[in-house]
Amino acid sequence: MSAVPKVAAVPPPGAARPAPLPRGRRGTELAMLCFAASIMAAAYLSAGLGLNGRIPAGLPVYVGGFAVLILAAHVAVRLLAPWADPLMLPLAAVLNGLGIVMIYLLEQFGRNGNSGLQISTLTAHAALYQLMWTAVGIVAFVLVLLLIREPRVLKRYTYTLGTIGIILLAIPALLPASHSSVNGAKVWIIFGGFSIQPGEFARILLAVFFAGYLVTKRDVLSLAGRRVLGIDLPRARDLGPVLVLWAASLLILVFEDDIGQSALFFGLFVAMLYVATQRTSWLLVGIILFVLGAETASRLFGHVGERFSVWLHPFSHANVVTGNSYQTVQGLEGMAFGGIFGTGLGLGEPFRTPLVQSDFIFTGFGEELGLTGLMAILLIFGLLVQRGLRAAVAVRDPFAKLLAAGLAFGIALQLFVIVGGVTELIPLTGVTTPFLSQGGSSLVASWIVIALLLRISDTARRPAPQPIQDEGLTQVVRAV
Amino acid sequence: MNHAMRRLSIACLVMFLALMLSVNYLQVFRATSLAAEPGNIRVFDEQFKTWRGEIIASGGGQQQVIAESLKQKGGDFKRFYPDPYVYAPVTGYDSIYATTSPYGLTGIEQSENKLLAGTAPSLAVYNLKGLFTGKPKQGASVYLTISPKAQQAAYQALVAMGEPAGVVAIDPQTGAILALASYPTFNPNLLATLDPVQFNKNDKQLVTDPAQPLLNRALNVTFPPGSSFKIVTSSAAFSTGKVHNQNSTIPAPQFYHLPGSSSVLTNDGDAPCGNGKPQIIYAFTLSCNTAFGKLGDTVGGSALHTYANLFGFNDPDLTIPLPVSPSNYPALTDPAQIALSAIGQFDDAVTPLQEAMMAATIANHGKLMAPYLVQEVKAPDQSVVASTTPTEIRQVVSAQVASYVTQMMISVTHNPAGTAYLTAGPPATTIDIAGKTGTAQNGPNNSGLDDAVFTCFAPAGNPQIAVGVIVKGGGFGADAAAPIALKVIQAYLGQH
Repeated sequence: MSAVPKVAAVPPPGAARPAPLPRGRRGTELAMLCFAASIMAAAYLSAGLGLNGRIPAGLPVYVGGFAVLILAAHVAVRLLAPWADPLMLPLAAVLNGLGIVMIYLLEQFGRNGNSGLQISTLTAHAALYQLMWTAVGIVAFVLVLLLIREPRVLKRYTYTLGTIGIILLAIPALLPASHSSVNGAKVWIIFGGFSIQPGEFARILLAVFFAGYLVTKRDVLSLAGRRVLGIDLPRARDLGPVLVLWAASLLILVFEDDIGQSALFFGLFVAMLYVATQRTSWLLVGIILFVLGAETASRLFGHVGERFSVWLHPFSHANVVTGNSYQTVQGLEGMAFGGIFGTGLGLGEPFRTPLVQSDFIFTGFGEELGLTGLMAILLIFGLLVQRGLRAAVAVRDPFAKLLAAGLAFGIALQLFVIVGGVTELIPLTGVTTPFLSQGGSSLVASWIVIALLLRISDTARRPAPQPIQDEGLTQVVRAV
Repeated sequence: MNHAMRRLSIACLVMFLALMLSVNYLQVFRATSLAAEPGNIRVFDEQFKTWRGEIIASGGGQQQVIAESLKQKGGDFKRFYPDPYVYAPVTGYDSIYATTSPYGLTGIEQSENKLLAGTAPSLAVYNLKGLFTGKPKQGASVYLTISPKAQQAAYQALVAMGEPAGVVAIDPQTGAILALASYPTFNPNLLATLDPVQFNKNDKQLVTDPAQPLLNRALNVTFPPGSSFKIVTSSAAFSTGKVHNQNSTIPAPQFYHLPGSSSVLTNDGDAPCGNGKPQIIYAFTLSCNTAFGKLGDTVGGSALHTYANLFGFNDPDLTIPLPVSPSNYPALTDPAQIALSAIGQFDDAVTPLQEAMMAATIANHGKLMAPYLVQEVKAPDQSVVASTTPTEIRQVVSAQVASYVTQMMISVTHNPAGTAYLTAGPPATTIDIAGKTGTAQNGPNNSGLDDAVFTCFAPAGNPQIAVGVIVKGGGFGADAAAPIALKVIQAYLGQH
């Protein structure tokens, strides 16, 4: 299949004036990417100056490397998805860049501010690794654009991808703890020095599976069952797949000790189910099931109740003495310390918060960039989600529509779960912050999501094939 | 599906709005309370990086920096007190490690902490300017009313005396505190150290020192006022009309049988007081206990309590802005206890500040001014952030009554029979001092050394300084306390 032929801008004389064609806006994208790169460069420079008053030595490597990577991504989009949304790539890039800067900062701060010592949970050369993972992410991004030229190709592999997703999700539960457990959460596959979090990828695969499954079954699922109290209840037998996934999400919770992952997984499913069937009853059923599951889990497992207690009373004597709330408290105090304008990059003490490079990276930004910076970051995420949802609304193919909605909502939900968690809006559950958090799996998976959304938006915005000649009956219709 | 998708978009919008509200609430509204959480590491660490403003003693036309932040090699700031012992009761200390008081601060370091650290709301505009001009953030400087020469003189006199003591000097017309010294005292530099091991050692030593050097004896220790309380008793007697003026006579038996009690009150050395019916000024000059014990009974416990309160007793809320322990004058109904309390015995207890306030009230025609330490606060660009205007607490007694008491206090130092004639009268100085001595018996069965008290103001005709001195175990008030007050007055007025 070749690239879309260039369309003549001027209609042939005599023809009825067709509606103006949408533009690819790749120039806009390039300009915005330059902006994103300059934000990253300024942040990196500012971080170095804040840390020790010197221009950091790694400037050419980090800023140059990052600029080359996002430029490569831009070229790939120009070639492979020329009609794609022009904002998504720059938005993702600026977040990725800020993440690298924060991880660089944490690496330079060292443990408790002693630059000689490494933060114990931070891998050596974490910033360089993050840059390398960015490269891997961009490669994955290009591969997705290259291999999936039409979203509906994915639909053919609905069940295959779904099965792979479930297996990926289940592997850590089946592996011995030494090969799957880090800091309590059993969500890793660890072999040698290499570790990945399969759940990050499983979520994407399952989103594809849900989209494929729900598009096929949505008519059945939206058939009314009994009507109780003004709500159409689904038929009992249609509940089957919902219950299966609910059980699966609970199993993740139980065996992998990861309530965050299970909330994302189940939330994604319920949202997509709702979009597919347009039935509020499914939403209610889903929410009730999740609340019941979480409630039972909190009774069965002490640590879930512990999290609730930390959420409600982080400063209570019991939670402070046991150290249960230490991380939450450090995050809160860090953000409060940043106040409205923040301390400035390199001038706060985000290293005081355990795992600030992953789950709590948002609080690190809150401390150093203040409310001002956090609002900007939230707006960037908000725009990213909005662009994704826009692609979903615009695309015609129901499968692509559902997939885009699921992926965009997934970003919003993930952000809500982690940011809500660290700001005490909801109980804390550990999930990564897309693009910002340290870690290859999360970063690569996030880039794959962006690639899929760009592919769908490219499909949505691609103009309908135009007649290449203005002659009577003969038309060439591009085969897809 | 677009209908459901629209709802999904709204759900996303709601989630983002909730996050934004949550972040706003946390970083704006909850920031203060989170900063105040005990064990907030960042607030603790910030102390090393804070360039605190200076504390400057600037009363009496002189200026002396008494606390400043010096930058150390690693970039941390360390608090330094150039004249540590003299000013310790005023500055307090700024310690990074102390856990005894909030943030390890006492004195002006504590009361003006937000201004010194630069975090006070009144510095917001200045700090915002700094945010854009990139100037390093520095706290505001606090200018105190303390007069360096009066303060130095007060501390040197206390060191020479060598007994636990406190001195406070006030400008009676404004309430500005000119000197505030305590002995024994401590070196705040020992607690300002950045070395935690050194700090623990020094802190332990200071806290366990039996001499209690950390105690501020000018503000936070109360002593029996002894006969100096007769100022209050006389004021109450004149104001209630029980005694007409300073020349009216009052009964003064050689032995006064306390009403309803088997105890007998006598004068110093069981001496008679004149002819047994002296003028009140004579009884005051000699400090006759029997005369004022009986006068107390005549005036009554409730009137004495009222006037003691007017002079500032029993006020737990007084701050200058350092917290001041309340001086105690109990509400009494037993006539014997009232008689004893009228001469400053029984449960009466005062701070040196309260002594100074009594003299200052009389000096200022009966008007008590609120005592204060902070004259002005200036941002690093020298713009004035805050300044204190003198405020009147109340008219304690009429100007007429104040003039009667003034006459009596002048007599104490100018009548050759007066208790302070030799130590604060013409033989000792050319300055016209009006004063009252006090000698409070101490210990079980009065076995301990007497506490010496002296309260006075000068010059008597145009009062510029009022001084309260209490020396624990100093002996006779005039001998131990009056010379200290004299030194402070001489230093402040620049006369001998």
